[in-house]
Amino acid sequence: MKSKKKMNRKGQMQMTETIAILFIFFILLMFGVIFYFRYQKAAFQEKEEELLGQRAMESTLKALFMPELICSRGEAEPEDNCFDVLKLNSSSETMQHYLDDYYFEIFSYATITVEEVYPENKTWILYDKPKPDFTRKEPTFFVVTLRDELAGKNQPHYGLGYVAVTVYS
Amino acid sequence: MRVERKIDGKLSRKGQMEAIGLVVIVILIALGMLFMATFALKSEPQKKIFTRKGLAYSTMSALMKTTVRDEAGCSFLSAEAPKIGGDVIEDCAKYKDVDRSLYQCIGPISHQPLHSCAFLEEMITSSLTKTLGGWNKNYEFHSQLITLQGETPIDIVKPICEKGFCEDVGGGCPKWKERDSSGLFPINTGAGLVENTLYLCD
Repeated sequence: MKSKKKMNRKGQMQMTETIAILFIFFILLMFGVIFYFRYQKAAFQEKEEELLGQRAMESTLKALFMPELICSRGEAEPEDNCFDVLKLNSSSETMQHYLDDYYFEIFSYATITVEEVYPENKTWILYDKPKPDFTRKEPTFFVVTLRDELAGKNQPHYGLGYVAVTVYS
Repeated sequence: MRVERKIDGKLSRKGQMEAIGLVVIVILIALGMLFMATFALKSEPQKKIFTRKGLAYSTMSALMKTTVRDEAGCSFLSAEAPKIGGDVIEDCAKYKDVDRSLYQCIGPISHQPLHSCAFLEEMITSSLTKTLGGWNKNYEFHSQLITLQGETPIDIVKPICEKGFCEDVGGGCPKWKERDSSGLFPINTGAGLVENTLYLCD
């Protein structure tokens, strides 16, 4: 009788031990699963941001080297990081006019503006097509020279400005 | 004999269970370490690096090409407007130790005719504040004159940071910070070689 009782108690002890171990194991497993899903969510968001950043980069490069804006002189090599003010004046209107027909394929949902910093403070809105229900936007800036052929006496005037390219997702 | 074997069998099974437990723990720790390593070794996004480098270069390139407007009243020497990364820097390098430089341009901040070195300081400070400063970027601008080979370079313009002159207000992009440089923009002047550099950091 006595040994049977002892064995019963031992069995109970072992059962409790097993249950406790299983409980801890499942808690650890649950933590692992939660952590993994959180990591996956963060990774997905990061990937989304990366793709948006990449698009911002591509759009900025496209804008910087657009023949409609870049400083050119006949057949000579165009000047890098330079926009022609005369081209800017006419392009802002043209680009808005052909926004859906032509430029949307190049820039998709984006806003491109050029701001003059020196000598004046002019602004040119070249392309403006924000996504109607955007959740995220990524602005990229690049400093450029603004060549004004009409301002200088013998040589063109070079002002300072920047191009802001904002992409939406 | 029978009892001994039974005890032995029980003991070995218990040992096996413990070993499995240990293996599970080791696997869990290894997985945790793997996750931590993935987080720690994650490199900076490509866009950030590209933008910082490109921005530093484009800023410097644009700044050096900029010409001083006629209203600044400094182009009495020639009909052409003086270029920052040419005439003005050369004038500053040549006459930095003299009270009066050839160009006496009206500064964009003080609105007074200034020595070309003082004008450069105002012009660069104003331009960088309106661009990089407006986007909350940390930066450091250096313009150094190298007269002879091996001689210590001299600052012709005090190093300029996002809050003003670096030596007065600190900040900027010290070497220990992760920074990108515009590269050297060398200008050959009558006084020697002037090297202009812009550092950008977060």
